Amino acid sequence: MKQKIVDLVESTKAKIDKAISAKELTDLKVEVLGKSGELTLILRGLKDLPEADRPIMGKVVNEARVALEKAIGSKIGELERKELNEKLMSERIDITIDNKRELGKIHPLNAIKRKAINFFVSMGFIVTDSPEIETTYYNFDMLNIPFDHPAREMQDTFFVTDKIILRTQTSSGQVRTMEKVKPPIKMISPGRVFRSDEADATHTPCFHQLEGLVVDKGITMCDLKGMLASFAKHFFSENSSVRFRPSHFPFTEPSVEVDASCPHCGGKGCNVCKGTGWIEILGAGMVNRRVLSGCGIDPDVYTGFAFGVGLDRITAICHGINDARVPFEGDIRFLKQF
Amino acid sequence: MKLPISWLKEFVDVDVDVQVICDALVNVGFEVEEIINYGEGISGVVVGKITEINKHPDADKLKICQVDVGKEVVTIVTGASNVNVGDVVPVALDGATLPDKTIKAAPLRGVMSYGMMCSGGELKISDAFVDGASVDGILILNDDLPLGRDIVSALELQETVLDVSITANRPDCHSILGLSREVATALNYGKGNASTRNAYVKFKMPSFEFCQHDVSANIPLVSVTSPDCPVYSSALIGDIKIDKSPKWMQRRLFMCGINPINNVVDITNYVLLEIGQPLHAFDLSMIEGNINVRRANDKEKIVALNDESYEMTGEMTLICDDKKALAIAGVMGGKYSGINDETKNVFLESARFSRGSVRSTSLKIGLRSDSSARFERGVDFYGVEYGRKRALALFEQLGAGRVLVDRPIIMPQSKVVTTTIDEINGLLGIELPKKNMIEILQSLGMDVVSEFRTLVVTIPAYREDIDNYTDLAEEIIRFYGYDNLGETFMPTAAVTVGGMTHKQKRIEETKDLLCAFGAYEIMTYSFTDENVYDKLNLDESDERRKAIKIINPISEDLSIMKTELVSGMISTISTNLTRKNDNFRLFELARVYQAQFPIKELPNENDVLCVGLVGANESFYELKNIFVSLLERFGVEFELTESAEPYLHPGISASLAVGGKVICSFGKIHPLVAKNFGIKKSDFSIGSIDLQAITVKKDTVAKYKPLPKFPPVERDLAFVVAESAAVGKIITAIKAQNSLVGDVELFDVYRGEQIEKGYKSVALKIKLVPKEKTLVDAEISNVMNAVVQMIKTDFDARVRE
Repeated sequence: MKQKIVDLVESTKAKIDKAISAKELTDLKVEVLGKSGELTLILRGLKDLPEADRPIMGKVVNEARVALEKAIGSKIGELERKELNEKLMSERIDITIDNKRELGKIHPLNAIKRKAINFFVSMGFIVTDSPEIETTYYNFDMLNIPFDHPAREMQDTFFVTDKIILRTQTSSGQVRTMEKVKPPIKMISPGRVFRSDEADATHTPCFHQLEGLVVDKGITMCDLKGMLASFAKHFFSENSSVRFRPSHFPFTEPSVEVDASCPHCGGKGCNVCKGTGWIEILGAGMVNRRVLSGCGIDPDVYTGFAFGVGLDRITAICHGINDARVPFEGDIRFLKQF
Repeated sequence: MKLPISWLKEFVDVDVDVQVICDALVNVGFEVEEIINYGEGISGVVVGKITEINKHPDADKLKICQVDVGKEVVTIVTGASNVNVGDVVPVALDGATLPDKTIKAAPLRGVMSYGMMCSGGELKISDAFVDGASVDGILILNDDLPLGRDIVSALELQETVLDVSITANRPDCHSILGLSREVATALNYGKGNASTRNAYVKFKMPSFEFCQHDVSANIPLVSVTSPDCPVYSSALIGDIKIDKSPKWMQRRLFMCGINPINNVVDITNYVLLEIGQPLHAFDLSMIEGNINVRRANDKEKIVALNDESYEMTGEMTLICDDKKALAIAGVMGGKYSGINDETKNVFLESARFSRGSVRSTSLKIGLRSDSSARFERGVDFYGVEYGRKRALALFEQLGAGRVLVDRPIIMPQSKVVTTTIDEINGLLGIELPKKNMIEILQSLGMDVVSEFRTLVVTIPAYREDIDNYTDLAEEIIRFYGYDNLGETFMPTAAVTVGGMTHKQKRIEETKDLLCAFGAYEIMTYSFTDENVYDKLNLDESDERRKAIKIINPISEDLSIMKTELVSGMISTISTNLTRKNDNFRLFELARVYQAQFPIKELPNENDVLCVGLVGANESFYELKNIFVSLLERFGVEFELTESAEPYLHPGISASLAVGGKVICSFGKIHPLVAKNFGIKKSDFSIGSIDLQAITVKKDTVAKYKPLPKFPPVERDLAFVVAESAAVGKIITAIKAQNSLVGDVELFDVYRGEQIEKGYKSVALKIKLVPKEKTLVDAEISNVMNAVVQMIKTDFDARVRE
């Protein structure tokens, strides 16, 4: 009898292995383990055995049943997984096709502007707005640009009336801030400015500046250099440095032009920096005493520095844009590049 | 400003490489824009003498010359007509180089020519260098020049001239003297001065020495009534011998861009360049009576030296005698008072005219001169006094005349700046010793008296730009070197809270949202063409037509300030379509300008967002979604209304109003407007929104509402209504019907078979959200029945079962 059971298990396992569908297996289960299945019949035959053999053979039968049930169950599971997998594979799609709703981008100049704003905000600077159409009072008079200064002539400035103009520099924002806010002042004023230059590869009649101003007790020119060096490091690269060259602006004294080490060649010299290793990035200086006192700030108590970055220029430098007009054209192929 | 190195070296006793001088200038703030080398590119050209001339056998116009060049006699074939036996000429030998060409021995019509005789033009020189150099033909030289001598040294052609750019605060450096002072100081105290540090560079002044031969001579009296002439000095020179000025003087004038004329005029121009003071020489015989410097009469006419007649206005200044106008002050002399070959006595003017007055006169009459350019930058009292003295010294030196009388000015009292080394170091942020400060200031011509830490600095008259200690600090650090500044981080400054304003943050967030909607940001100019309003179909009375005009625009198409952004967006779309770009979303966020006319106050500048959607997949609803989502994002409540924008499709457009005021309009472009902008395919959408409602809306802190505890129930409702019935209104009405109604979602609109024309079938999914307990069927039916009843009566709907 034991041999019969062993044979039955063997033959059934062979059938299980061969089975290719779940139905075959459920049929097999009925055939072997069902109410009138072969193993069930063997079990019923136990009562004909001697009393002493019954528990032993009973155990053998039970073990056979458990083993077969498990084998069938796991084979069914295997087949179901396979079937599901086949079904899923039949649903396979072409992943190289796009159904695109892309993200847009802000204009490269505004991206550069944001980067600059983020730096100065992290340094405790407030961000101010001031009018694009401005009075000569704020654009010139208060910035120590007297009425007979060449910058006031018609060829540079767009006039709306004899006293109202399109601002030629964001420095007008300095004055408006200093009139309202008393030191300590740390502010930047980014925005659009206008000069009556015909558009060409390096000029556009609208362009953008970011003005910065710090006024407090004991502010020095070394502080200006430290702030701008840190700006260059954040803006261009960790290895950037700055140098000052003497210059002149009516609203600062001393005045400097500030160069940053060329971000393209790291200062070795390339065609972007025309071999010098340096590129001019901004004008700066210590706020002129006349400007401070004009705004009601005592220049014997407070000193300060100011700087003005040409945003269009540093955008062009960062991205290698060689024509100032292109950023204003709005060609989508340009806008997608940044 | 042109700076010939030989002229510089008269005042700065130094023998260094030109590059050292350039670096010195650049380091202290003067850009060297160009280095011009005279005599450059000339080699192998020597002095030669023509010893024999024969006719060419095969060419009538050619001559065969034998030329003695010292060591040998060479044969040269020439086509020049101005050569004779015995002439001394520049000879470019075989292999010689000229600025424009290289000379090779070659046969000319069968006769070998071993070089070329040169014209002045071929050597790039003029009469100012050598007489005859401006002649069209071979340059005939003085016959005392040694034969075979290199021409560059024989004619002293070698000269380097720097073109230096001068900042507006330094009019004194528009002079050889001013720049020389800077160079000397830079070489002695500037950075990179290793080559000169051990050999102190001496700075010498030009000669101001002359004799007054007849102080009682009859010189016209001068009265000044014009407020634009703070000082007027004069001198009288007799025994004038009009002649050419010496070559060294002519050559320097030429290299600085001034044509030599005669000794008297050349002296005034030489002083203009050297000292920076414009002078004017009048022929005394043309002056009737005394000199009056006065304002012109309106429409008063004067003929200037250039033979042109100019009409004056009342705020211009003239130099006049008792009868007539002699000169336009600071701009140009008059034709009938100038120096001529018969001039015997010269009345010399050295004056100061205010720069604003000279500039506006020069601009208004459209006449510029070296003199006016100089006055516009600003002339100082030093120049007035020493410029005249220098000219008188030159008259004497050149033997051009005898100085009779000099009428000096009374120099104004010198400015004194009192400061301390701490004040200067405090501004710079360094610890520079007093000694270094004093050295630099003294080298620049300032008198410094120092006690302990105090500096009392007397400012020379030529430094009107210096006013207070910050100016002195700049002078000191300019020479000491900005590289010596450290980098500090505001150790004394207070900590401040930084950041953007609420409005700025809202604007940046708006841009980010537009990017999330797939739109790319554009930037366009703030000005446009007045005709865009016609192109946009705007009514004659539309407020947007009241744009601010620019008085001096670059061109008509950039002549008014934008009152809207739509026209710029359409133009940009047009540019893209022309370039075969399609399928894109663009936005612009910029200011528009609206003024009260006549303009007395600054105009309003409002932030506006404009959006354009182009492509087959774009629709009115895509654009509506953008604007609606934007307002919802910031919690701005709005109402949807019909749009009246004339540039939009009347049937496919809408507006959004906040507080009853339309702030946003959008929709499909009107086909005629697209056409006006040169766009044939008009299937794009455009819209704009005034951002004020968004930027002023404060952040609100949302209050938590507990989530519903009971499961919602969904019911579908399909009905047929007239096309004109607005689904949005039906949905709003259903929501208002019962507080149990939650979301109502449109899931189908159907037109066509089984639905008669002029009607549409609408299917909605209505979600009922119980508040206190699970809904029972009876309650659900009650709500739904009420809804059905309402849409039947209010919207004439036929419910489909």
